[in-house]
Amino acid sequence: MKSKKMNAKKLARLGLLTALALIIYIVELRLPDIAPIPGMKLGLANIVTVCALFTFSPKETALILYARIILGSIFASNPSAILYSISGGTLCLVGMALLRKHFSKKSIWLCSVYGAALHNIGQTAAAVFIMRTTAVLAYLPILIFFACISGALTGLTAQFIILRTNKKY
Amino acid sequence: MKTKRILFILAAAVFLISGIISVYLLFLRPKPEKVRITSDGETLYVLEPAREEDRLITVEYEGRENVIEIKDGRVHMLKADCPDHICIETGWLDNGLPIICLPNRLVIEYEDGRTDAAAG
Repeated sequence: MKSKKMNAKKLARLGLLTALALIIYIVELRLPDIAPIPGMKLGLANIVTVCALFTFSPKETALILYARIILGSIFASNPSAILYSISGGTLCLVGMALLRKHFSKKSIWLCSVYGAALHNIGQTAAAVFIMRTTAVLAYLPILIFFACISGALTGLTAQFIILRTNKKY
Repeated sequence: MKTKRILFILAAAVFLISGIISVYLLFLRPKPEKVRITSDGETLYVLEPAREEDRLITVEYEGRENVIEIKDGRVHMLKADCPDHICIETGWLDNGLPIICLPNRLVIEYEDGRTDAAAG
């Protein structure tokens, strides 16, 4: 009985985080592009993923991530983006989940750097597969370079949130 | 603690190496003469923009159109029916980076000798 109550509580928290991630994702779409490079984004929604990963289990984080990706691409009416997001997001999440135990709460930002770089690798792999050309690989170094910067910044944001909200939100 | 240091150094290395490769691709890579236009994995045109007359090329994919312009020996995307217009903002094809329209699966890239020999 008690565990069921916990589940409902957790479900509500996960739902809230999903809603938050979705809002950040939609707002980010309205921001102008940083550079005319396909696939380049700040990845602000990753803040929620990183926060969730260091608070909940990888499985629960995956639920938030996939709900955000699927709903996000429906709301943004950009169904072609879903495959890139899913492959990038999956690689990012798997990588961060594996590396999670090596990072303390003060080096979350570094974990996020790896996540961001892996996200771009996954995205580019999907693009090679979908576009059936290796031309897209030319963008990978630039994407990874900026992913390191944006990943560190979003990770730092997540780190501050986690350090200053000691309780599970 | 030790793993953390290794991971930090690895991330720094990835950052620096990707930066160096980016600079090479953006500014230093020699430009081949031929340009290849690919739609959904199939090569539509292989052109030498320096020898082409100024013209427009329209490519259709699933009912959506892209218009490629060749002008003064250079190539760029003039119009696109895609939601993001990143391919238009990329501008002229004048460095190692190809012009890519992800939604319409169109690629305009320099053709280097290596792929040319493989195709021939």
